[in-house]
Order: sequence, then structure tokens, then C-alpha cells
Amino acid sequence: MSEDIAVGIDLGTSYSCVAVAVDGKPQVIPNEWGEHTHASVVSFLDDGHVLVGNDAKKNIITNAEHTVYSAKRLIGRFYFSDEVKKAQAVMPYGIVEGPNNSVRIQVRDRTLAIPEISALVLKEMKAIAETHLGREVKKAVVTCPAYFNDNQRQATKDAGRIAGLEVLRIINEPTAAALAYGFGKDISQKICVYDLGGGTFDVSILEIGKDVFEVLSTAGDTYLGGDDFDDRIMAWLADDFLKAHGLDLRQNKFCLQMLKEAGERAKIEVGRDGVAEISVPGICQSPEGQVLDLTARLQQDQFNRMVMDLVQRTFKVCDEALQSARLTAADVDAVILVGGPTRLPIIRTSVRHYFQKDPLTGVDPDQVVALGAAIQGAALLSTSAAEYGQASYLLDVTPLSLRVGTVGGFSEKIIDKNTPIPIEKSKTFTTSRDGQDRVKIRVYQGESSKVDGCELLGEFEFTGFRIGYRGEVQIQVTFEIDSNGIVNVAATDLETGQKTSTTISLSSGLSEQDLQRAIDDNAGMELAARQP
Amino acid sequence: MDAQFLIEIETLAAVLDQLDYYGVLKLQQGAGAADVKAAYYRESRAYHPDRFAAVESAELKELIGRIYRRINEAYTVLRDDQKRVRYLADVTGPDRARKLRFTEAEEAAVSQEQKKKLEEQFGQTPNGRKFYATAALELKAERWEAAERALKSALMYEPGNPKFKEQLAAVQAELEKTRVKGDYRIK
Repeated sequence: MSEDIAVGIDLGTSYSCVAVAVDGKPQVIPNEWGEHTHASVVSFLDDGHVLVGNDAKKNIITNAEHTVYSAKRLIGRFYFSDEVKKAQAVMPYGIVEGPNNSVRIQVRDRTLAIPEISALVLKEMKAIAETHLGREVKKAVVTCPAYFNDNQRQATKDAGRIAGLEVLRIINEPTAAALAYGFGKDISQKICVYDLGGGTFDVSILEIGKDVFEVLSTAGDTYLGGDDFDDRIMAWLADDFLKAHGLDLRQNKFCLQMLKEAGERAKIEVGRDGVAEISVPGICQSPEGQVLDLTARLQQDQFNRMVMDLVQRTFKVCDEALQSARLTAADVDAVILVGGPTRLPIIRTSVRHYFQKDPLTGVDPDQVVALGAAIQGAALLSTSAAEYGQASYLLDVTPLSLRVGTVGGFSEKIIDKNTPIPIEKSKTFTTSRDGQDRVKIRVYQGESSKVDGCELLGEFEFTGFRIGYRGEVQIQVTFEIDSNGIVNVAATDLETGQKTSTTISLSSGLSEQDLQRAIDDNAGMELAARQP
Repeated sequence: MDAQFLIEIETLAAVLDQLDYYGVLKLQQGAGAADVKAAYYRESRAYHPDRFAAVESAELKELIGRIYRRINEAYTVLRDDQKRVRYLADVTGPDRARKLRFTEAEEAAVSQEQKKKLEEQFGQTPNGRKFYATAALELKAERWEAAERALKSALMYEPGNPKFKEQLAAVQAELEKTRVKGDYRIK
């Protein structure tokens, strides 16, 4: 029996990728058809099988209602959030409300939580790795956008567990990319990772000093990605079509899917060839029964104008990251581009303008994150690290300020954003009534002093401390952010030093029971073999 | 893992609450930003939890976790120029035993100080700031009389502002220099 192995998985909004480090050399694992990236699409077939990957993506049109894509946009979100409302309007699959304001997906005769969908993607990655390596894979390092909050990280971790993987660590995508770039190079540089994915945008500024990778700051936008570029093309096509034929393609979910596919293809073509010919024969039927085609030509200039404001938005985020790191664009020694949309010439030119230097070539924007995760996976498994020292150390930060709710809808900052993790901080609370036997606090993440502008992580209730007059009992609450960026809360009675019991009374996550049920369900779901 | 390192970890974890942040990072008191960063990297290489991720003992991991969280805490405070100054004053002062960890009270004090400094520099009242800004523009253009007028107006709103007074004195000295010397009175 050879020793343990851990893979690195880049769980993306649109595409996922799996890699492994063998003898210190990371490499991407292809599937049986030689594909290196796999669409994060899950299609539920009528025979009860589940199809995941690039084949499932073809089903977005033919099996639209039972094919789930871009689930990462919904992970760890509450049902009432704007992102969920937006997804409901455009997604052909059913998005319904679950217990505790959570989000559920309705496909065929079952309802699934978002982590269960992501788990199926992870299960496929696991299967690809197992087929290629010819052995069982039980452990993994999974990446998530740096700007993900605690709910989203927790949900990603749950997804791993449901898929039967022990998630050794959740690491940030830009950090993983930097690790893959600087690993074993013995350089001292300040670098910027510009990570524009399918659904999220992240910027991290890192200082690499030999074997230490210190994240100086990170900033991002979890509502900005390549999908938004597609949307602009779709809107343009649909408006033109509406003018020409008086029919709105966006009203029909089937037409909308065809439109979306055309938009995505046009974006890739215009980026590669400078011009895109769009042709979707028979996109819809007029009320008179006439079959209509969609044809258009998209020029580079026109596309650039359409998305200029989106590109500008990414640089506002860059400004923020540089400011937090107390650097200017000129201080950055190298820029790494991550994510498929960074292939677009408009992104490359704008990045060159902003940083006054060419982005690094020779880094594959689709694979670099998985490679970094694989390096970290191998490092976390090595027992020799403790004795001989490890080859690299990631010093990451928390992307968002941690806050507690106070009176009147305001919040108070406990841990600043861009603080190195793991970290802990304590705050003392006192009782406000005589004989009070429980204290409730609400924990938030975000940059607004109003709780409405922040994301609620959960409500914690402490009981089992001494009972006394108001103001007499002091409870020290310790907030800890661990290496995964996940928040833990514990409390002790300050005078007696006794730990109080903590219960989470409000949370977007899955309960232990739900999790167990999901693990069993997932084990029962069979991945469909691909049709030749 | 050798026994010596284990003992080292146990002793460090035991005395953690008696150490100040300089002690945690094994630095001389009063070390500067560059030293702090170098020390942080050095200590990270030794105590980063990733190094011990594959170690069986949960107890050891807990100790390492405690040490490393404190290292991060120390770094967060000492890397910040303002906080470092304040912290150094705290731990070298009489209240040392209570001030080993930088708490929210100190955090608030630092931001308060920061605010006060800014206010002194640019004025505390809207009108004071407005006139002071005008004065700064006139000064740049070397229109001394106009600058003097603006500063006097600013001082009407904030009579006690030391920065304004200092500027006014400087402007008046300039004016004195440019004033035509000699007897100019009409006979």
C-alpha cells in the first residue's frame, strides 16, 4: 500500500479542474477523453443517473429543467438574497426555499441543497482522479474565491464531506495561483493575482519571500464574472431581435438558453479572432408559425464598448487591494492572470495599462489554481514537514471584517479585514437584565457599520453561566478565524472561567442531520457513463 | 519530531500569556517595521500549523494553534506604525502587566489619536477647514496678504488651533520681509 494522497480541486463557477502533485511536481489530471477542465454542470437523467461535466453541459438545452449550472453563485447564500432572486429569473431549473431561509434546487422528484450539487461535481473530480491514478482518493484541498464569506466557505467544506472527501483545507484561489507560480522558484517579489472567473472576481496582493507566501491584502466582487460579459452580448442580441421581429427571446427559458450559449460562444470567438459570427438557426417560432433564425456579427470594438464598465469595475477592486496593502501599481513586480475571461484581449490590454507591465505568460489561467491546490495538498500530508521544514508557507488573510450586531441595527468591528489568519480576538459582554440566563449575539461579515449592509453568519446563544444582577455577569466571547477562513465562536464566564454552552440558533448551513442524510443520498447517486 | 522541539513548544505555550508581542516574535523592544516582518517570517517557518498538519497528536496541534494565533496577533499590531508606537509605550509603562495584549480599548485610543491629529492639521469645524484650505492655496501662490486674511478667518472659528496660529506667524513673517523698508510716510 503506497502512502496517502491528496488531490487539489479548483471548484469553479463554470469549470472545475483537478490536479495532483507527485514527487513535488504538480500536474493536472485529464479525464479519459483528455479534457483538462470540466464544466461544473450537473444533469439529472430520467433513468436516475447523474451526468457531470462537459457532456452535462450539452444537456443545458435538451434537458434544461433538470440540468443545474453555475450553482456556485448560490452556494452559502440566503434565500432572500439578491443573487438568488436574479438566478430565479434566468435559471431554467427550479430554485425553491428550504428550511432556515436556505436555498434548495428542485429537480425531477427530489430537492437538493446547493452543497449537494457541488458535491456531485467534486465526486466527478474524485472519479477522474481515481481512474487516472488507479487508486482511491479520499483527501483533497478545495479552492474557493478569496472574497468568499464564512457561509460560502462552510458550504464548500460541506460539499467535500458529502462527496466523501476529507477536505484538508479550503484555500483561496488567488493564493493557490501564487503558490503554483512561485513554488520552488526562490524569488522575492510583490505580485498581484488578477482572478476573473465565471462568476466571481478576486484580487490578491502577495509578497513572496523565498518560501513564504504572505497575502498583503485581498479584495473582490462576488457578483462579477465572465457570465456578466455573456449577459451583455445576450442583451444586445435579444434587443436587436426584439426590434426586428417584435419577439422577446428572454421571455422563454428555452430560447434564453440558446441565447446564453450563443453569447458565451461569441465572447470566446471575439476574444480569439477579433470578430464573431453568431448564428442560431430556429431559435424560436413566431405566433404565425414561422421559424426564425438569429444571426448577427459582433466586432471587437463593439464588444469592448459593451463590457467597458465591467472591466473598469475590476480596477476599482484593484485600487482597493493596493490601498489596503499600502502599495501603488508601480510597486508590483509581476501580475498573474487567472480564469478563462482573462484571455480576452480587452482584459490583457487594460491590465497592461493599469500596472504598466505585461502580465505573465506561461501561466495557464484555467489550470494554475488546481496546480496550487495540489501542491498544498501534498504539503499538508507530508509528515516530514514538521522535521525538515516545509517547502512553502501560505500566510493568508481574512477578506472581510468580522462584526457583531449591536443596538439599533448597527454593528461593531471585532476583526479587521486583511488580518492574517488563523487569529482570535475576545470581547466581553455583560448581562443587561437581573437574573438573565442567556445571551444572544449575531455575527456578521462585511464593511458596513449597519448590519443591513453586511452578511449574517449566524446567531449564537450562550447559556449555563452564573445568574446574577444585571451588569454583574461578564461573558468573554472568543471569535476565532481558522486557516480555512471559517469562523468559530466560544464563550466563557469571565469570573469562574467556566465555558458556557453555545448553540447556533440561526445559520444558512446544513445541520449535522441534514449532512448525514446528504452523505447517504450522495453515495446512492451513480454518475452516468458518458455517451460515446 | 525531536523531543527538544516538543519541550520548546510546551514551554512557549505555557508562558504565552506572560510575553509581550516583542517576546512572541522574539524581537528586541523597539524593533522597526522591517525587523517585525523578518521575525514574522522566521516564526512562521517554525510554527506554521501547516507544518504540523500531518502530525497525529491533537494536543500538539492545539498548542501550535495557540502559539501561531498569538504570532499573527503580534504581527497585526506591530506591523502598523501607529499601533506599534502606542503598544511600545504601553508595555514599557507602569501598566505593563495589563497591557500585554492590544485590546479594543487601545484600538479605539489609536484611532481617536489619529482623528485628533488630522483635525489639528486640517481644522475641526467645517468653516475652519474651508478657510484653511483657501489659505493653503494662497500660500502656494505666494499671495501672502490673501493667505493672512484666510488664516485670520480660520482662526475666528477655531481660536485655539495651534497649526493655524503657527501658519499665521509664518505668513506674517513673510509679509514683514516683503514690506518696503525705509521711510515711506508723506512729509
